Amino acid sequence: MAEMNAGISSDVIRGYNDTMILYILKQEPSYGYEISKRIRSISEDKYIIKETTLYSAFSRMEKNGYIESYEAAGDANGKKRTYYRISEAGLKYYREKCNEWELTKDVIQRFIDGSSYLTMKGETNGND
Amino acid sequence: METIKNYLEAMFANMPRTADVEKAKSELLQMMEDKYNELISEGKTENEAVGTVISEFGNLDELAEALGLEKEVQQEHEESEANPRRALALEEIRDYLQYASVRALCIALGVALCIISATGPILFDTIHLAGVGVLVLLLLVAGAVLLFVFSGITSKKWSYITKGSCYLDYAGSNYTMEEKGRYRRSFAARLTLGIILCAICWLPMVIADSLGNLAGLGEVFQIIVLLGMIAAGVFLIIHSSMIMGSINDLLKINDGQTMSSSYTEKAFPHYDNPKADGLLSIYWPTVRSIYLIWSFLTFAWWRTWIIWPVAGIVYAIIKSLFKSDNPTQGNSQV
Repeated sequence: MAEMNAGISSDVIRGYNDTMILYILKQEPSYGYEISKRIRSISEDKYIIKETTLYSAFSRMEKNGYIESYEAAGDANGKKRTYYRISEAGLKYYREKCNEWELTKDVIQRFIDGSSYLTMKGETNGND
Repeated sequence: METIKNYLEAMFANMPRTADVEKAKSELLQMMEDKYNELISEGKTENEAVGTVISEFGNLDELAEALGLEKEVQQEHEESEANPRRALALEEIRDYLQYASVRALCIALGVALCIISATGPILFDTIHLAGVGVLVLLLLVAGAVLLFVFSGITSKKWSYITKGSCYLDYAGSNYTMEEKGRYRRSFAARLTLGIILCAICWLPMVIADSLGNLAGLGEVFQIIVLLGMIAAGVFLIIHSSMIMGSINDLLKINDGQTMSSSYTEKAFPHYDNPKADGLLSIYWPTVRSIYLIWSFLTFAWWRTWIIWPVAGIVYAIIKSLFKSDNPTQGNSQV
């Protein structure tokens, strides 16, 4: 597995926060902290999403109609929380993002040192 | 947890006060609280938990973008650079409230001295020392003037507080509201006692009259008792109102357009209609002033009390006219 430093550059991952959130909401409706915890555990502690990033994504996606929010009592002491669920438009958007990522990955991978594409052909080194 | 709350409030203090921003703040608080509770239940110390939560919070620029508030946040950055507002420290608030209580004492005592000073000539006239009487009067008035001047000089030092260069942060607001809560009872008691003293100041005269004039000095003492009661009553009214006024002034220094104005909201009754809000906030002080002015001009205390029941009814009517319909809480669905 590739080397992972303490932090992933937030610029790089930025376009895919939505994808992660939608992936989790696709399974079942959830709320803020639960979602951030799942992102962390699925990424094996390699990515910790910031609270402001998470809420910004909720707010943006709700405006775009990809997710819907509702109030519901949490499991523990019946505390009210804002839950989010994915909409039809959200599912469609998620699939688009998945395709986009496949393409992105395919393209970027061609420029990565030591990757299998090297043997095929072309430039080998991006360093000046 | 209080540290986290303070941190979040400080981040939001200068954001514009809109429903979107309020919602963002409460959602973020919820997430931070969840994370904090989990860290604590995992056995982390309070400091570690707070440190982790705050370091993983992020920054508001991103949020501003998502909420469409970049312009406001940018403006706020520029404004705070050009004209920095400073949060009042807790010790500063405590000192200010202490000063406010000293100032209230000076002014109230000064006014009371002026009222009492009239007793000088009356008292000394009876033993044919009119000169001494006038001297006593002048001394008492001079004492009052000294108190007024003193409070005027000390007030300069504190005038910056209400002039827009400072604000109350979340902790400061809570502290001030606690002070207000502590003072509220004593304020009500003093104010009531003061009004009662003024209202019944004529009673000793009537009682003395009905008992018959004692030893010729009776009339003089009656007047002195009358003035003494008025002075004591006025002292209590001014003293308590001024302290309460200073606390309320302090609670109003935050910019009403920003989130920081929400901290002190609980301290004031709120009505949806801003006009009603303004009207009701000056209602009781106005009624009180009318009552005192009318009473002292006419000295018809047995008649002027009628203001209170009438004012009470009018207040209830105005309030019900402007009463805000509580927005129904969001429906819960599971």
